[in-house]
Amino acid sequence: MPLDLVLPRNSRIKPGKSHKAPAGAKNVKEFHIYRYDPDQKKNPTIDIFEIDLDEIGPMVLDALIKIKDDIDPTLTFRRSCREGICGSCAMCIDGINTLSCLKPIADIKGPVKIYPLPHLEVIKDLVPDVNHLYAQYASIEPWMKNRTPMPKKERLQSPEERDKLDGLWECILCFCCATSCPSYWWNADRYLGPAILLQAARWVLDSRDEEQGSRLDELEDPFKLYRCHTILNCTKACPKGLNPAKAIADLKVLMMERIV
Amino acid sequence: MTFLEAKTQRGGPLSPHLQVYNMFALTSFLSIVHRIFGGALFVGTLLFVYWIGSAAAGPNAYDSAMNFLGSWFGYLLIFGWSFALFYHMCNGIRHMIWDTGRMIDLPSIYKSGYVMVACAFGLTVVAWAIGLSV
Repeated sequence: MPLDLVLPRNSRIKPGKSHKAPAGAKNVKEFHIYRYDPDQKKNPTIDIFEIDLDEIGPMVLDALIKIKDDIDPTLTFRRSCREGICGSCAMCIDGINTLSCLKPIADIKGPVKIYPLPHLEVIKDLVPDVNHLYAQYASIEPWMKNRTPMPKKERLQSPEERDKLDGLWECILCFCCATSCPSYWWNADRYLGPAILLQAARWVLDSRDEEQGSRLDELEDPFKLYRCHTILNCTKACPKGLNPAKAIADLKVLMMERIV
Repeated sequence: MTFLEAKTQRGGPLSPHLQVYNMFALTSFLSIVHRIFGGALFVGTLLFVYWIGSAAAGPNAYDSAMNFLGSWFGYLLIFGWSFALFYHMCNGIRHMIWDTGRMIDLPSIYKSGYVMVACAFGLTVVAWAIGLSV
């Protein structure tokens, strides 16, 4: 079992630089931010930035943008929509994965500690490599599959059938849930993790899709689905308020139902 | 190539996980305790085998086993074992309910978590009250 409780030698975090707030700042908050520069063959560090909250907007992303604009332009992070719909700015803030654009600074007591999404390879600063997650997403074939001929118009769905997709289609693939899951940390090579399993459920439960059986066959594996041990960090983390744990439970129930 | 080497192929560091993640949220905390108590139950079972084995080995062995188990330290071990047992049982039931797709939303998860811990404490107290009164 590849249970790495301790970080590899090159990943251990050292103290870094400190940036003081400008003189006269009244509403100062410390931000402790994980830094890693691939151009220097050095261990990651924690840089400390003192920010005057009166100068910026309410969210953690506002502080990151302030730092990049005015203090250290080398600070690297993904962001795009700044309103919780693109899923780019997912990171580990104050010990829980979330979107920095939806996380109010006021929710956090003491210094704001910001790390990249856990247990992934860091490319630079707060940007982790999520290629493996996209590959796993592709592996569940997330598109409508049909064998029956195309109807004249669209494939119809009753309101009740459509309701089953609520809580699934809203997922923005930010991977906060997947990278909050200890089981995924230690088994990502074979376990699909909450984000991908929620997507799998989204297609399995779609009344218009005709490959429910083969989709479930694909998931029938000691690791792909059943490495979920209901730790529930996923549901706790989801910044969109979705419930990956429930989606996984629904898949397990469907697996049971077709056996008995 | 190990899983970890495969995961960090371009030579970058692995982002911190256990080191920085909040494992004291009720969700993960109760899960970790469940695991630890599972391991503790194994050790407790060894204690049980020691007790049974001593009874089979004769009166002298049994007396010394009872001396040890009857000491304050022995009581502590048995108390810990009994609480771990009831915790594991109650949380196991909670997991079985989740496996049916029920009560697996955040408010129910928190509520059932508190109820489960209270039940485990309650059952332990009841078991000891019965055990000590006979």
